[in-house]
Amino acid sequence: ANVTLKASHQFPGGKGDVRDEMVQIMAREVDKANVGLKIQVYPGQSLYKAKEQWGALVKGQLDITAFPLDYASGRHPQFSATLMPGLVKNHEHARRLNNSEFMKDIKKIIEDAGAMVLADAWLAGGFASKKNCIVNPEDIKGQVTRAAGPAFEQMLAGAGASISSMASSEIYTGMQTGVLDATNTSSGSFVSFRLYEQVQCLTAPGEYALWFMYEPILISKQTWSKLNKKQQDALMAAARKSEEYFAGEAKKLDDKMVDVFKKAGVKVVTMNEQQYQAWLKIAKDTSYKHFSEKVPGGKELIEKALAVK
Amino acid sequence: MDSFVRLVRATSMLCGILAVAALLAAVVVVCQMVVMRYFLGASTVWQTEFVTFAIVAATFIGAPYVLLHKGHVNVDLVPFYIPHRARLVLALFASGVSLVFCLVLAWYSWVYFHEAWTGGWTTETVWALPLWIPLLPLPIGMALLALQYVADILCLATGRDAPFGMRAEEAE
Amino acid sequence: MTPIEIGILIGIVTVLVLAAGVPIAFGLGVVALGFLFYFQGADTFGILGEKFFGGIATFELVALPMFILMGAAVASSPAGRDVYLALDRWMNRVPGGIVISNIGACSIFAALSGSSPATCAAIGKMGIPEMRKRGVPDDLATGSIAAGGTLGILIPPSITMIVYGVATETSIGRLFLAGVFPGLMLTGLFIAWTWFVAWRRGVAFTDMKARFSLRERLEVLPKVLPLLLIVVGILYVLYGGVATPSEAAGVGAMFCLVLVAVIYRIWQPARIWTIFRDTTRESVMIMMIIAASELFGYMMSVLYVTQSVAEWIAVLEVNRWVLMFFINIFLLVAGCFLPPVAIILMTAPILIPIITNAGFDPYWFAVILTVNMEIGLITPPVGLNLYVINGIAPEIRLPVILRGAVPFILLMVLGIVILSIFPGIATWLPDYLMGPTG
Ligand code: NA
Ligand code: NA
Repeated sequence: ANVTLKASHQFPGGKGDVRDEMVQIMAREVDKANVGLKIQVYPGQSLYKAKEQWGALVKGQLDITAFPLDYASGRHPQFSATLMPGLVKNHEHARRLNNSEFMKDIKKIIEDAGAMVLADAWLAGGFASKKNCIVNPEDIKGQVTRAAGPAFEQMLAGAGASISSMASSEIYTGMQTGVLDATNTSSGSFVSFRLYEQVQCLTAPGEYALWFMYEPILISKQTWSKLNKKQQDALMAAARKSEEYFAGEAKKLDDKMVDVFKKAGVKVVTMNEQQYQAWLKIAKDTSYKHFSEKVPGGKELIEKALAVK
Repeated sequence: MDSFVRLVRATSMLCGILAVAALLAAVVVVCQMVVMRYFLGASTVWQTEFVTFAIVAATFIGAPYVLLHKGHVNVDLVPFYIPHRARLVLALFASGVSLVFCLVLAWYSWVYFHEAWTGGWTTETVWALPLWIPLLPLPIGMALLALQYVADILCLATGRDAPFGMRAEEAE
Repeated sequence: MTPIEIGILIGIVTVLVLAAGVPIAFGLGVVALGFLFYFQGADTFGILGEKFFGGIATFELVALPMFILMGAAVASSPAGRDVYLALDRWMNRVPGGIVISNIGACSIFAALSGSSPATCAAIGKMGIPEMRKRGVPDDLATGSIAAGGTLGILIPPSITMIVYGVATETSIGRLFLAGVFPGLMLTGLFIAWTWFVAWRRGVAFTDMKARFSLRERLEVLPKVLPLLLIVVGILYVLYGGVATPSEAAGVGAMFCLVLVAVIYRIWQPARIWTIFRDTTRESVMIMMIIAASELFGYMMSVLYVTQSVAEWIAVLEVNRWVLMFFINIFLLVAGCFLPPVAIILMTAPILIPIITNAGFDPYWFAVILTVNMEIGLITPPVGLNLYVINGIAPEIRLPVILRGAVPFILLMVLGIVILSIFPGIATWLPDYLMGPTG
């Protein structure tokens, strides 16, 4: 039978965004496989808003999504571990993490909720400030900062920053008008929101980065079970292709950000191990502590993640 | 029946007062947030969500009150130019269609509220507000809106209210 | 059925349901439910609650009730009358001075109010009787207020710009700035036209014998000052780095409440209640339309109608200005029947990709869209401003009000043409203050 699957994501469509491209690759691959399966891509929140995708997915209203998992942490607080400061250090580390006990636990929760992972993807990010380079915790003291996600907010507040929550689309205006001094977000957002026009210094992800976010491609289990064996295999093969593509692109995103910022005359730095450890210490006292105490199984998750070297 | 209509209208009126209170709270908290953030340099954790949800609550809870005062804007061009009897039929149709929408929405938003309640869902912020709290006004507001429509339909059918507020002689 | 055919069917059903007098919010909602149910089954309804709630649960939309409140607070005071009377002391020897003063007062009030009917009512309530007393013909008196009122959604703050910003994910602050010079340009066109009419008919519509000394002219200025102060204050808060639009709106609303309490002694609980009650009514009405449009837009997208229509227009490969011409015609026709908010929400998902692909600036287009919406507010059959004026001056017959609006409609069309030739009128200020868009 001919099946058309709806794939939704929040990123710009057809403009070379890596996550859009991952979904588009899958659509092209399953089309080539000729198994009566078609993927219709709805980019840029044209079907569901970013945070609505999870609910629609587990209800079987949405078939496929490229989804920042932390967005569903209101329903599954454990997902906050996938946007936890310092848990992932660099891209190689992220890849080792994918097959760890930690991710097994996370994927178990995803499956129990009614979805499953087709392809893994971890995106890196960094810090930028209008005032100074942010490498040590002391550097952010007193700066009004917009952070992505509560775990980062807790750590930054612990380092003495003043937290201001706003939509990521408001960061540029916030910086320009002086409402914001600093922000931390993904490499892609730093470029697409043109923050290089506003900041003095960028802390890019190098050997030691704090900001990593898990943004896998998910499929609804209801959808999956409706597909025949051939279609499932074709989808899985397509997912492998898409994952391979991502592995090649993930670091390029960071390189592109560094290029763009340098060209715009922004100072670019990275953290060393010592600076990373100083942040990790604060994270352990703030976000990790909060997560371990408040989230069922949280303590074990953190331990399992930290165990991945 | 009169007492039913009176009771519904009193409830809708009460909804109006609650909606105004929510709006007032939102104004006060926005100002508090601005003072905290820009003048005292303090972190603002809960204000953005509070204000957003207060306005949402004002909207859903205020909906029956706005209907009570015929404030949901419509295009009443056709009703204006047709004979009075047809106008009555059209008014009943319009209210009936709206009633169906409110009932469907009330039911499915109740389901959503219930999921959030039993699942212990929260908002994805440091505040982590239990999601059922901001969701509650939706099923309640829509149910009361449906009730106000039932009262309106009764009043239309029994000639208490003129369809689209237009009296018979205006047509001629 | 192809998505395009489904789209045509949706269009027909929507027109029928809305023409039957169903409130726009519930009409859009019920059409969405019907089509979802027919093509996707009742299972889809599982996400209704989340969609309807999510449609309005964004901080950006908080600006909407706040700006309505700001306008309502000032409108409850005699500030509007003070403004045009003050202007009149300066303009009373110019042909059409009192009319020009009223148009000027409309544009000043527009800078405090996000809504056009509110601007119309605030100035027209006393402005129309005053103009008629001075011998201004009925059609010019009502036409100038109807048109002046439309400036409410072009000169910032603007409810339609907020909704456009939320629907298209563009910056609300930038949208506001884009409306400033076009708003002033339309004000200028309206004033020039009024002056021309007065001069040609050889009437001054004014008490030429009254002469005001410089002192008399200066002493009225304090009455205009508080309003100007708020306008400047809001602009500072928005662009001086103090706050986001929603925050600025909230602070502005509080500021206006305090101001009318101090200057005009409006502090009695009953009067405050009236301000809040009117604000609640208007915001709830608009927010319900926004929430329902979310369902409508979802239905259109799920059935692939939005995407198919956009693709269909893209492959036509017509000249971009021909495209823009037909979009304008479409908007003008839609504007005759539907309020601005509903039009923006229903068409933005389709129009925005089309116009950006054709190389038009989304902020410039927001201004074009808004001027179209303004025209819709003063054209029959559904022209909110016309009804407001009919309510203020019931003794003036509707055809006279309509006749009075015609020249101003033509001026707005002229405005669209000028903006198309010189797009910088809209884009220069936001580019200058906020840097160019990527
Ligand atoms: Na305005
Ligand atoms: Na109209």
